Amino acid sequence: MPTTPLGSPTEEQEKLLIESFDIVKQQAFQMKRCLDKNKLMDGLKHASNMLNELRTSVLSPKSYYELYIKIIDELRYLEEYLTDEFLKGRKVHDLYELVQYAGNIVPRLYLLITVGVVYIKSKELSRRDILKDLVEMCRGVQHPLRGLFLRNYLLQCVKNILPDRQLELENSENDEDGMEVGTVSDSIDFIHLNFSEMNKLWVRMQHQGHTRDKERREIERRELRILVGTNLVRLSQLDGIDVEKYKQDILTFILEQIVSCRDAIAQEYLMECIIQVFPDEYHLQTLNGFLRACSDLSPSVNVKNIIISLINRLSVFAQKENSGGIPDDIELFDIFSSQIANITENRADMPAEDIISLQASLVTLALTCYPDRIDYVDKVLGTTSEIFEKMNIELIESKSHVCRELSRLLRLPVDNYKNILKLLELKHFAPLIDVFDYLARKSLSLYILTNAIDNETKIGTAEQTDAILTMASTLITDQPDEPSINEDPDDFAEEQGVVARFIHLLEADEADIQYLMLNTVRKHVGTGGVKRIRYTLPPIVFRLFDLAEKYKSVREDDDKWEKKCSKIFQMCHQTISVLIKAETVELAELSLRLFLQGAVVAGNVRFDGYETVAYEFLTQAFSIYEDDICDSKKQFAAVTLITAALEKMTCFSTDNHETLRTHCAQAANKLLKKPDQARAIVNVANVFWNGKYIEDGREVEMKDGKRVCECLKKALKIANQCMDQAAQLQLFIEILNQYLYFYEKGNDHINIQVLNQLIGKIKDDLPNLDATDETELIRTHFENTIEHLRNRIENPETDEPSYTGIVL
Amino acid sequence: MLVLVLGDLHIPHRSGGLPAKFKRLLVPGKIQHILCTGNLCTRETYDYLKSLANDVHVVKGDFDEVSTYPEQKVVTVGQFRIGLCHGHQIIPWGDMESLAIVQRQLDVDILITGHTHKFEAFEHENKFFINPGSATGAYNTLDRDVIPSFVLLDIQKTTIVAYVYKIRDDDVVVEKVEYKKP
Repeated sequence: MPTTPLGSPTEEQEKLLIESFDIVKQQAFQMKRCLDKNKLMDGLKHASNMLNELRTSVLSPKSYYELYIKIIDELRYLEEYLTDEFLKGRKVHDLYELVQYAGNIVPRLYLLITVGVVYIKSKELSRRDILKDLVEMCRGVQHPLRGLFLRNYLLQCVKNILPDRQLELENSENDEDGMEVGTVSDSIDFIHLNFSEMNKLWVRMQHQGHTRDKERREIERRELRILVGTNLVRLSQLDGIDVEKYKQDILTFILEQIVSCRDAIAQEYLMECIIQVFPDEYHLQTLNGFLRACSDLSPSVNVKNIIISLINRLSVFAQKENSGGIPDDIELFDIFSSQIANITENRADMPAEDIISLQASLVTLALTCYPDRIDYVDKVLGTTSEIFEKMNIELIESKSHVCRELSRLLRLPVDNYKNILKLLELKHFAPLIDVFDYLARKSLSLYILTNAIDNETKIGTAEQTDAILTMASTLITDQPDEPSINEDPDDFAEEQGVVARFIHLLEADEADIQYLMLNTVRKHVGTGGVKRIRYTLPPIVFRLFDLAEKYKSVREDDDKWEKKCSKIFQMCHQTISVLIKAETVELAELSLRLFLQGAVVAGNVRFDGYETVAYEFLTQAFSIYEDDICDSKKQFAAVTLITAALEKMTCFSTDNHETLRTHCAQAANKLLKKPDQARAIVNVANVFWNGKYIEDGREVEMKDGKRVCECLKKALKIANQCMDQAAQLQLFIEILNQYLYFYEKGNDHINIQVLNQLIGKIKDDLPNLDATDETELIRTHFENTIEHLRNRIENPETDEPSYTGIVL
Repeated sequence: MLVLVLGDLHIPHRSGGLPAKFKRLLVPGKIQHILCTGNLCTRETYDYLKSLANDVHVVKGDFDEVSTYPEQKVVTVGQFRIGLCHGHQIIPWGDMESLAIVQRQLDVDILITGHTHKFEAFEHENKFFINPGSATGAYNTLDRDVIPSFVLLDIQKTTIVAYVYKIRDDDVVVEKVEYKKP
């Protein structure tokens, strides 16, 4: 692609870079050729020409970096040549003097560094002095970009030759050649100087050029930050450093530099850099100094991120195996909380969300480093409350930044403890929820209850129940600040489902405590209004049923168990009645089923007065059926359930049982549709056979074969009235199956003649049916029935009546 | 082919949710069909089942308010006709001969019912009957000691292996019942 004189800035840069690359390529080639021919002076001249390209001021930092890398790479050839020369016995000292005559300062200093390194390796002169010399001489380049890269070159070249000896070795300062090698302190001084100079150059970049380019300049500066940071990396790599040295000689100096440069970009990056490059053990010993420096940083620095970053590192450290944890003598939490308070105070314009975010990081610290100190977490929560008070924040609206941060803060202990009972030990937790608006409160309440459900946290006392439900009251009852707009019904159902599921976590070993808990939850959800109780009351009713059975199981140890049971059933009765009063069709069906369940349970538990209670509950089920259930399908379902329940119950006296089964039969007769009637009556037949009542204190099984037969006959009669032939035949086959059922059970009122008659009728009628999918099913049903009969005839069971004489 | 059979979860009426130990076992992508005996009792539970397998069949339990669930259903898997019914409609509840009447009516090889919250799997007159029990171990008026359970059917050509998963003393135990089509 041809380049035009007016290219885009990127094209322009590329063009300039290519030009420089060409020169570098040529000069490097010449340099190598001369060196190969041992023409050192010419070689140095070409090296200098090549390095001249680094004097440019038209390249962007990115392009300059590429050029720098290329040149450094070529320069390595020279370094290798010089090292060889030195090994051959050439005096490096001459060279060191020689390159100082190079015309321009940039190439001169690069050459000087290159030779200097060889010089140090040659041990011709004190390493300490040369290093000092080099780092001082680099001051000669004050152009930020050029200076930064030059010093970076210096830092890179001395990487492996910095003196790293500890203090105690200083008495033998001179090595075997009598040269002064220097100690780690010299290296520290060297890097300190290089660092502070680089930082100055870097900061100065900010103030060069037009203000409209500020944004671009800041991006460029961020691209260069690693050059400055490398100084800190180099410091951290010195083996001769220990905590004491770090504290005394390194950190204080670096922090001073950082604070005094007053540049936000530099401060933010370098503080983060300190956290990341030095070991956690050092940070632990220097927290106060570091945090104090944080409060002195420029107002536009995001101190929050720095502190959070430090806390995160220390939290990971505390949890790391073999780290030994946080030393006992370091009051990590106290240091951070007082320093954070300090920082918050010093920064009047710090946004509330950042302050809360800092408090959240304190909570993280307390939770991870001091898992047993619930009081620490509580202290932070208390401080957070005070902050809101001081800032006059009385309401936090959902979706605001503060809300996001506070929600995050409050969720930390929930997530960490995985046990919401621990939240109750935090005095300041619940009050903080009240600062939220309706939606935020609801969301946190859901979060807490869901946490309990997911972790299957068992709630064991009435006080705990009360405290949790009070905390989650936004879900339990109407709120003054509740928006009037109707919520999404699915969401609402899901939320109330969470409350309902929570009720199953209430579980005490002692029945009395269980009762108190259920009573408490009943009181709370009782205030929820029609829209909520349909979700929250049924679980309570089932928990009460379970409790009644629990009392029965401990009846030996509790002489008041019967009284307590009757109280429980009163509460059930009253609770289910509340549901009926809500007057919706679904609730009528639900209440009917709950009453039926209650009747069965009362019958099982057999406390004093159980029969009256069971009878009352069944009566209630009947009344709901009569008053509130109108749909014929639902009516049939209801009669079926009532009959099934009565069939199972064994607690009624002769009279009561008769009244109830007669009622079932009447209800069956009154159903609208003929097939429903027939089937319901067949169901009642089961009560006459399997039903049990109590006579003279004994359980009597009805086994009333005569009445069973009457029911089946009645069902046949009704089936005969069906106009639809397929439906009629279907019923005939179903009734035939019931005849067989009772015959096999030994009902001697059924004889083979009756069976043959019915089979014959079905056989006669079946061919008249039109062939459809439905009639096909009816035919198969009949075939399966005959197959069953055949099976019975071929494999007769000894205790069952025989099918001799049956005509298939 | 793996078919999950479960029911009577009764969330949130009678249970706070599936036991965590079951939840860990039930992961998406392994099960092809789900046959549920009903009493879910909420949309959420249905959605959860849907997340495990795409093909979910549910029949109406006595505490399901969703009117679209049928009372009975027949599903064909491989060579097997499987009947599904909650069972509260079959009187007496859980009675083998009464279940057999429904099996004959639906003309199925396997009849799956629930309601009693008690696992059962047995052969009767060459047909197979399964009751997966209650997956949540939900309270039941008939029997206070409910053990959470569900069934996983491995359906081959003409054989079925029913693995029943139960929670006993806080551990999941698995038993195996086989049925071969005659």
